[in-house]
Parts: sequence; structure tokens; C-alpha cells
Amino acid sequence: MDIQELQAELEKLHGASFGWALSCCRRDRAEAEEVLQTVYLKILEGKARYRGESQLKTWLFAVIRKTAITEQRKRLLRILKLTAASNPAPEQDSFAGEPAATFERSEAQKQFQLALRTLPARQREVLHLVFYEDLSLREAADVMGISIGSVRQHYERGKKHLRESLNREELDYGISWQRKETPDAVS
Amino acid sequence: MESAGSEKRLQTLFRELKLADERVAPDFIGVWNRVQTSPSPRGFRISLAVATALTVITLSSLVLWWKNWQPAQRSNQAVVSGPATPDAMPAPGLATPDHAVPVHSKSNRRNVKLVARRHPALNTTNVAIGEDVSISNWQSPTARLLQSPADHVLTSLPQLDRSLINLKTFLPDTPQ
Repeated sequence: MDIQELQAELEKLHGASFGWALSCCRRDRAEAEEVLQTVYLKILEGKARYRGESQLKTWLFAVIRKTAITEQRKRLLRILKLTAASNPAPEQDSFAGEPAATFERSEAQKQFQLALRTLPARQREVLHLVFYEDLSLREAADVMGISIGSVRQHYERGKKHLRESLNREELDYGISWQRKETPDAVS
Repeated sequence: MESAGSEKRLQTLFRELKLADERVAPDFIGVWNRVQTSPSPRGFRISLAVATALTVITLSSLVLWWKNWQPAQRSNQAVVSGPATPDAMPAPGLATPDHAVPVHSKSNRRNVKLVARRHPALNTTNVAIGEDVSISNWQSPTARLLQSPADHVLTSLPQLDRSLINLKTFLPDTPQ
């Protein structure tokens, strides 16, 4: 596959790649963009080469995942070195002030994203690959570089945890909403 | 039934999330062009390594050349002082290594260096002076081989009006 063809294919997958990069970077948009840029650079330089052994999408996602992990490790080391004594900077909402922020702030989505953050990384990744990217469990296993049995386990556990935390948050939200509406009824 | 419902709900939530992400995704062409135009860290690292290696090689070769050049220059000066004038030739009787004058004495060299450092413009003149001094002090390294006990016979002439006997004593090995 020559570079022009590859560029065309990457362009088709760009949206999905960005979504996957976002998931790998814990929804940090700036970080996701940086990771995606690094991935494209790797491809251009030939450091990451597609050999046609798997689907382009699964290969690309595996590269993105690996790059995100490496970048995250580098960033953590940098933070540890620079701010060993000081407190870490508070996590910023990268979507604040953007048109999508309106959507992000919608209560259901907010709860959903909070619930996603509470999941272990592997479970979150499997759920993202299956529900968001419409990959099969086999493809998800290829992307993550683990066995299909492990993927299946992470998938089931992830779904269960996500469901539980969504229900819990809904319940909390319902109680708080009821408190606001009829304070005497709850106490 | 409940499980299928919750799965559908998860799918909906993920789909909504995907739509939101697509809205904020950066333009592919922009990212791609940025990647193509930005100097790659790998390329930069390689060029930096090449530049460092070239600098090191150049410096080390300069140092080596400088070290080799200095002794070569010294030996050249000694060779240049080779064509000695017959007037400057010392008397054969005195031409022993013990009496050999060094080409450059240490103090001489030091003085020349000091002057050269203080007055760089006079460098060429000093070199010429140094060469003259070395020429005037030059001794052939094979002068010793030319010595013999009968040197005085070769360098002197018998006096006129001398008797034959004297001549005979003067040349003892001649057949009588």
C-alpha cells in the first residue's frame, strides 16, 4: 500500500481514530490530538508499517493504543520529575467552551462518562471498541493484543460494572432531585 | 429482557458519544499537513548525531594534524639547515659529537616562541633568523667518519727548502 492509498484510508478512519484516541487518553482532547499526530508521524516515517496481516482499522487502533500508553507514561514521568513536591494540577475539562460542551453537559451523558471513568482501563477499552467502534470481540482482542477469552471476560465485567454504576448514579440523581422537589418526603 | 434493554441503552449512549466526538474531531488534512511539515524528532535526532560526529571527526583530525605538523616543521628546519658553507665547516680535528652544537638550544627556542607570541607580525622574520642561526651552527652527522690520524698530512703542505730526509720522515711508508 503506497502512501497516497494509506492517506486516503486514514482519512476515512480519522473520526473513529480520534474517538479511540480520546478513549485511550481518558477523554483529554489535546492529548488525543497529540497521540493521533504522533501515530501519523510514525506511519509516515515507516516506524509503524502496515503489513496486511490484519484489518487496517485494527492495526491502526493497536498503534494508537500503544502510542497513547507510551505518551501517558512519558507524561507521568515528566510530571513526577517536575512536580515531585507540589500538588498535581486539577484535571481540566477539555470540552469546556466548545459547541459540543452543551451535549457533554447533558445529564445522561455526564453520568455515562463518569461511569466510564470509574471502569478499569481494559474494561473501558473493550466496551469502547465493541459499542463505539462496532468491532467484534476477536477484533478487539487483536487491537488490545490479548486473548479472546480475556476480552470476553473484560467485556462482560465491564458491561456489568457500567450498568451498576449508571443505575447507582441514576438513583442518586433521583434522590437528590426528589430532595430538591420535596425535601420533607426524603427525610 | 432486562439485559437486552440495558445493552441497547449502552449502545445509544455510546452512539451519542461518538456523534459528539465527531463534531469536535480535528480536520484530517490539517493534522496530516502538520505532521508532514513539522520536523520529525527522529530526523532531528539523526541530523544532530551526524552533525556532532562530523564536528568530533573534524576537531580530532585537526588536533592530529597539528601534532604531526609541529615535529615535521622541526625536522624540516633541520633539513633546511643542511647546505652548509665550507667556511662554516668546523676544523676536522674539532668535529667530535661532544662539541656538536645543538640545532636549537632550549632557551633559544623559548625566546623565539615568546617573541613570536608577543609580536605575531614578526613571526616570519623570526623564522628566517632561526633558520640562519641553525645554518651557521650546522654540523654534518657524518663528519666523524671523515676523520683519520693522517688528517694533518692532507690539510698541510710540506715547506719549501726542506731536505729529502725530512720529506721521508714526513712520508714514512713510501718505498725508498
